[in-house]
Amino acid sequence: MTEASVIETSAPAEGVTETLNREAVERAAAQEPTWLAERRAHAWDVYERTPLPSTKLEEWRYTDVRRLLDLDALTPAPRPEAGTGEALLEGLDGLPAGLRAVMAEDREAAGHVAIVDGCVRHVDLSDELARQGIVLTSLARAVQLHPELLEEHLATHAVPPEEGKFQALNAALWADGVFLYVPAGASLDLPVRVSRWLSGGGLAVFSRTLIVAEAGARVSFVDEIVSDDLDAQSLESSVVEVIARDGAQVQYVSLQRLGHRAFYQAAQRTLAGRDATLDTLNVSLGASVARVDLNARLLGPGANSDMLGLYFGDGDQHFDHNTSQDHEAPNAHSDLLYKGALDGHAHAVFRGIIRVHEGAQGTDAYQTNRNLILSEHARADSLPNLEIEADDVRCSHGATVGQLDQETLFYLMSRGIPQQPAERLVVMGFLGEVLSRLPLGGVVDKVTRAIEVKLRHG
Amino acid sequence: MPQNEVIEGLGLDEYKYGFVDEEQHVFRTRPGLDEEIVRQISAQKEEPEWMLEFRLKALKIYESKPMPTWGGDLSELEDTLDQIYFYVRPSERMGTSWDEVPENIKRTYERLGIPEAEQKVLAGLGAQYESEMVYHSLKEEWEAQGVIFDSIEDGLRKHPELFRKYFATVVPPGDNKFAALNSAVWSGGSFVYIPPGVELDTPLQAYFRVNQERMGQFERTLIIADENSRAHYIEGCTAPVYSTESFHSGVIEIVVLPGAHFRYTTIQNWSNNMYNLVTQRALVHRGAAMEWLDGNLGSKLTMKYPSCYLVGEGAHGSILSIAYAGDGQHQDTGGKVVHAAPNTSSTIVSKSISKGHGRSSYRGLCKVYEGAVNSRSNVECDALLINETSRTDTYPYIEIEEKRASVGHEATVSKVGDEQLFYLMSRGMSEEEAMALIVRGFIEPIAKELPLEYAVELNKLIELEMEGSVG
Repeated sequence: MTEASVIETSAPAEGVTETLNREAVERAAAQEPTWLAERRAHAWDVYERTPLPSTKLEEWRYTDVRRLLDLDALTPAPRPEAGTGEALLEGLDGLPAGLRAVMAEDREAAGHVAIVDGCVRHVDLSDELARQGIVLTSLARAVQLHPELLEEHLATHAVPPEEGKFQALNAALWADGVFLYVPAGASLDLPVRVSRWLSGGGLAVFSRTLIVAEAGARVSFVDEIVSDDLDAQSLESSVVEVIARDGAQVQYVSLQRLGHRAFYQAAQRTLAGRDATLDTLNVSLGASVARVDLNARLLGPGANSDMLGLYFGDGDQHFDHNTSQDHEAPNAHSDLLYKGALDGHAHAVFRGIIRVHEGAQGTDAYQTNRNLILSEHARADSLPNLEIEADDVRCSHGATVGQLDQETLFYLMSRGIPQQPAERLVVMGFLGEVLSRLPLGGVVDKVTRAIEVKLRHG
Repeated sequence: MPQNEVIEGLGLDEYKYGFVDEEQHVFRTRPGLDEEIVRQISAQKEEPEWMLEFRLKALKIYESKPMPTWGGDLSELEDTLDQIYFYVRPSERMGTSWDEVPENIKRTYERLGIPEAEQKVLAGLGAQYESEMVYHSLKEEWEAQGVIFDSIEDGLRKHPELFRKYFATVVPPGDNKFAALNSAVWSGGSFVYIPPGVELDTPLQAYFRVNQERMGQFERTLIIADENSRAHYIEGCTAPVYSTESFHSGVIEIVVLPGAHFRYTTIQNWSNNMYNLVTQRALVHRGAAMEWLDGNLGSKLTMKYPSCYLVGEGAHGSILSIAYAGDGQHQDTGGKVVHAAPNTSSTIVSKSISKGHGRSSYRGLCKVYEGAVNSRSNVECDALLINETSRTDTYPYIEIEEKRASVGHEATVSKVGDEQLFYLMSRGMSEEEAMALIVRGFIEPIAKELPLEYAVELNKLIELEMEGSVG
């Protein structure tokens, strides 16, 4: 770029507001090491020169951010004061009641993290696990305690700012988040549970999750986000980077149950090494708008990813799941199943792509998206794509959109079950297939209850 | 749909343009395109004023629309468009010599067993005189029933009211950039009208039609199947068609009125220097049925997505698509079904084969509008990969606004199995024969829908194409 053209671009860039601007980035970086401050500044540069996605972009064709999100009305959530990450379990009393209620169901865990408006308020991990060298801490603390790991992995090879407008914004302004490190061969029998709370309207919350599982490590991670209905729009932006080294086994589960008016934006990327297993489950039940980008990269031969998704929309909810399965090594396997039910005026978009790169012989890759339309005004768009540049592959995809199976319904009613409960049963059966493939303790019950609540209100 | 253009395309076409010695044209425009050239084309054809205005409006639309950035690689096309002649009125006799036809094309004709006279037609060297007798007797029979089967120019001249009532109602010039281009400079193509209740057993073949103006690179076809009629139209042929032109952009419009049943078959086998960008679409009314049978074997890049807009209750649309992409070829093809009325149904079946460095992409749309209750649609795509370097893509768009609808899409990708090959070879077949047999089996569901002579030729062609594909 010539100097002249740099000067020409002096008009304010898209998405720069009274509170989301370079000063905010500099404030976020004030106490941080140089490498991180530079990384934030670079991310902000990328943000400024990246236009806000429009529906002209294939990946944003059905989700009009310009109409759905008002960045001008948002203020970044306040940053944590130094040391708050040190609170003990007893300190949970200070947390919002809604968050405490969520956590009360999650006693069985290897460790807990509680987050309010993107800032970590509580962390616990059993001593035994800590002795194995497992690290579970806030990202803010990890910057001080494990700078070399963060410098290597944070917003670099998994989700760099160049990935997109929101990815850049998050990399520039993230306030805090979770860092989980599992050393080679270490193993957690119970999941790590993260519970997030969004406290109100008008906020812009930026948090990140970084999970590194070394060779042969084994860990499950349940990431839940909840809020009440909000009085004004808030943006909850989440970037998740999961790295599974050779032979590691990682499960990442996201449960999104935000309230009305929340705009949820998540960018998740999983990197699976040789013979690693990296499974994900995304459950989208809440928020007015939820956009989830999930990219699974199978980087080592024999890598394996099961990718599950479940969504239930009602009212005027808008869900957009954008997935990709990148087979970059031979003999890897991936299997995606996303199922959703839509009531009211809900609109769901699924766009998924399997890319079999040159040389990825012996690939097995599957992709299925099924939608159930429950009301006159709901809408489902499904775009299951394949791009295949190797010949020795087994690939297939399927997509369906339809209504409740009338025969099943008729059968249930003929057995004396009234129509509405019968319909609820059929919907639960339809969605239950997803949960049965990742039967993580507690998660299935929680999701089932949440769906039942929605079904009864609908 | 927010961005209609992403899927626009439809289309079909083929046609052999001549292999014409430039010195012998009666008339041609200078290279490139502007308003003056459009006026010249219209004046040459002695068209009514409304058509000139239509062309000029379309030219403005063409100029205002950006080059599509999806589908195939069109980056080199802009230069081509500056250099081509947008209108060439060929002389009655094609003036090029047989010697100029490339050897590989001639060889293919010979091996396909095509008679010499026919070979010359395919190479653009002459009209199909051999067929004239057959054609004339058929034509008399059709005329007795009120069927119109004319060149598009004659259609406009002889049936102005019917023509104007339907022309550009199915594919308006604003539909996409290349439909706009075609609307500005169209020349050649067919005009077909099937009167109410008429059922034709013999397919209408564009191949037999002797035009004073041969079909060109901007061919335009308008077909009206009136109520309760039934007919089959065949365009193109399976043997390779040689052309010196590098760009072809046709528009095919079909109106299927209530209760009618229409089938349009096209096999495109342009030589491999051709950009083939075609919009072909049918408007299907109440209780009517439209079938597209679309084969794409030739060209450098084809972008063509035959469409059925099901606008009347109980309408049915069916698209059978077969694509073969050899070295250096990209077939970006598929289909589009739009359900805009209750109780409509549709199926799309797509089969593609990629060989060498060839790439075949399925691109399709299934849209169900709110209110199109009890609509059903099913899409199946199968892709076969012959070599390690072959590529295949699948890009379906499924947009459903109606609760009482049922839509499914499935696609599979596979390579020719070692076990299949081994079995056939253990029965005494050579590897090439075995490969050709497997590929023939793969496309059989489509080949069996073709008239016999086409199916035979297609099979032979596949055999030739599979030579040297193994080992």
